[in-house]
Amino acid sequence: MTFLRERGMGASILVAALSSAFGITLLAITAYIGFLSTSAFGDSGSVSIMLLVVSTVFIGIALYVGAIVTSNTFATIVAGRTRQIALMRLIGSTASAERRRVATQGLVVGAIGSAAGAILATAIAFGGSAVAGRLLGAPPYEDPVAAWMFVPVIVVILTTWLAAWTGSRRVLTVTPSEALGGSVARSREELARGRGKFAAAIVMGLLGILLLIGGVVAGLVTPLGLFIAFPGGILSFTAIVMAAPLIMPPVLRLVGRLFGGSTTARMAATNALRYPERSSRMAIGVVVGVTLVVMFGVASQTFVSVTLTGTGEEVADATGIQELLDVLSRVMMALVGFSAVIAGVGLVNLLTIGVVQRRTELGLLRALGLTTGQIRRMVMLEALHITLASTLLGLVLGVAYGWAGAQSLGGSGYGYRGLIVAPAVPWEPVVVIVAAMALLTLIASVAPTRLATRISPVEALAAE
Amino acid sequence: MDNSLAASVAHLTKTYGTGDGIVTALDDVSVGIRRGEFTAIMGPSGSGKSTLMHIMAGLDAPTSGQAWIGDTEITGLNDKELTLLRRRKAGFIFQSFNLVPTLDVKANILLPFDLDNRAPDPHEMRRIQDLVDQLGLGRRLAHRPHELSGGQQQRVAIARALAAAPELIFADEPTGNLDSRTGREVLRILRESSAAGQSIAMVTHDPIAASYADRVLYLGDGRIVADKPRQTAEQISAHMLRTEQEAAA
Repeated sequence: MTFLRERGMGASILVAALSSAFGITLLAITAYIGFLSTSAFGDSGSVSIMLLVVSTVFIGIALYVGAIVTSNTFATIVAGRTRQIALMRLIGSTASAERRRVATQGLVVGAIGSAAGAILATAIAFGGSAVAGRLLGAPPYEDPVAAWMFVPVIVVILTTWLAAWTGSRRVLTVTPSEALGGSVARSREELARGRGKFAAAIVMGLLGILLLIGGVVAGLVTPLGLFIAFPGGILSFTAIVMAAPLIMPPVLRLVGRLFGGSTTARMAATNALRYPERSSRMAIGVVVGVTLVVMFGVASQTFVSVTLTGTGEEVADATGIQELLDVLSRVMMALVGFSAVIAGVGLVNLLTIGVVQRRTELGLLRALGLTTGQIRRMVMLEALHITLASTLLGLVLGVAYGWAGAQSLGGSGYGYRGLIVAPAVPWEPVVVIVAAMALLTLIASVAPTRLATRISPVEALAAE
Repeated sequence: MDNSLAASVAHLTKTYGTGDGIVTALDDVSVGIRRGEFTAIMGPSGSGKSTLMHIMAGLDAPTSGQAWIGDTEITGLNDKELTLLRRRKAGFIFQSFNLVPTLDVKANILLPFDLDNRAPDPHEMRRIQDLVDQLGLGRRLAHRPHELSGGQQQRVAIARALAAAPELIFADEPTGNLDSRTGREVLRILRESSAAGQSIAMVTHDPIAASYADRVLYLGDGRIVADKPRQTAEQISAHMLRTEQEAAA
């Protein structure tokens, strides 16, 4: 179990714990709201089922982002362990046995994290329902947790295992001879093998865009346009996530150019592109969070705007809609925001391991005269590079999806036909996102900066 | 301070560990590296030659004693001052080349200037151009290090070290990772630039490499055991063998 002390394992445990705690808590809250509505309105469970479906979607998003982060972490760990794996291969271990070992570590990490998350969530469920019961004056609630709510525990263990397995693909390419010889040029992480790998994503993306356009056009006549646009949104966004290694590098390159031409800036900008696949997947986790938050905000604001334009004087009615939508979109944003926290853990991890695996290079730069202040700036720029690129892409996508959603639902207005309004961007979520990203950049660069500035050139250059 | 010295150390001692486990890497070493000379620091593994170089270059601090680069005393400087000193007065060539993999050849050569937030002046620009021509790197400027052979990478490292004409260049086993023909080429380049006035201190345990130097300092057990003018590889090997036999006897 000594591997648990290895860098990156702690983060994977944290991700598993956050995912399972989030899942269980959300299910417990869903059950509690169901209980409240049953005791208040004698509802027979349709509210509960609807809430359950919505919760499942959000848990799914969180688990998905968590799996991306874990798989990335394991890929990074394997890249740093090449020597050790090569040595095992040299002694006679098979590649598949080595890969199984990495995957088993994922299973252990998933089990530990998931169990910790379950304990935390149980505490939250008991405490939360007691407090809520007292505040609302609701009847006593017998069982804040039930066995079925612990399904996420199993799912998180399985996804972590699976993520470790996918992340450890590179183990198969390590040759025994890599254990020999002085300085083997660190083989680059396998790059996207051509565009063929993304063919499915591209087809899905195009289909999704067509459906989105169709939905918006249909929305000019009927609110049912949403039912065309919705699958289009899911298809195209899944395609974007799948094709991240194709989409993110150009965005990262563009943002990198903003940093200017100084060498530290250029080095920071190229570091994110050193392992394009790794950075792209890490960034896409943040993109998912930002996109969904912005989408909910823009969708509700634009819907209000299109309704206002349509109804003209019936402003009072629209204010009611606005209030309801505001509450709804805030809840949605908070739920999605949790996935962004998990993506943030992944970013911290990516930067930290990046610094650890660049010890010699940073030692060299220190020897050549890079001050600790310059190192600090460089690491900070690296973090900023990924958050900025993800935020920009997320904002653009969120505005587009939110607008398409509102247009397809409300474009037909109240009897008026063919209303097209410009996307309305509420400033509140945008400000929150920008502030959260600034905070994430700062937090993400603390640990790696401390590591990087402590590297002594002598040590780093001797450890070749 | 003697103006003819590019670097010097006085009564330098460096120990690692404490109590019974104490290891003395350098034992009261006093020596000067003369300006414009190509000096080799020879010695078997564990003789303290790398420690001596690290302290001279301001990469490591001695337990006691003093060190100077040019006329600047470096012992007692803080990390920031040492960093700026290395940036402006020292150049480095390493065994494993140590180029920045994400920068192309040109950016690697200009790295010392960029770290100093300045562009080379016309005089320096001309020198860099001459170096690039002389080292045959003209058509490689836009390449990344991984696209170059070991010998070419080391030539880029040499260009980087020579570009700013630092007070002293420290070379740590510069031929250690090269085949013998490429290694000889690198040594010839170092000797030529020293003939043109560049001070170079090279740490090595290879008698052939040391035979290219104007002066050979022998280290053994943390002390300077001999200080000889230019020697042939045979003389150096014989010297090393003799000390080895004396130690065994």
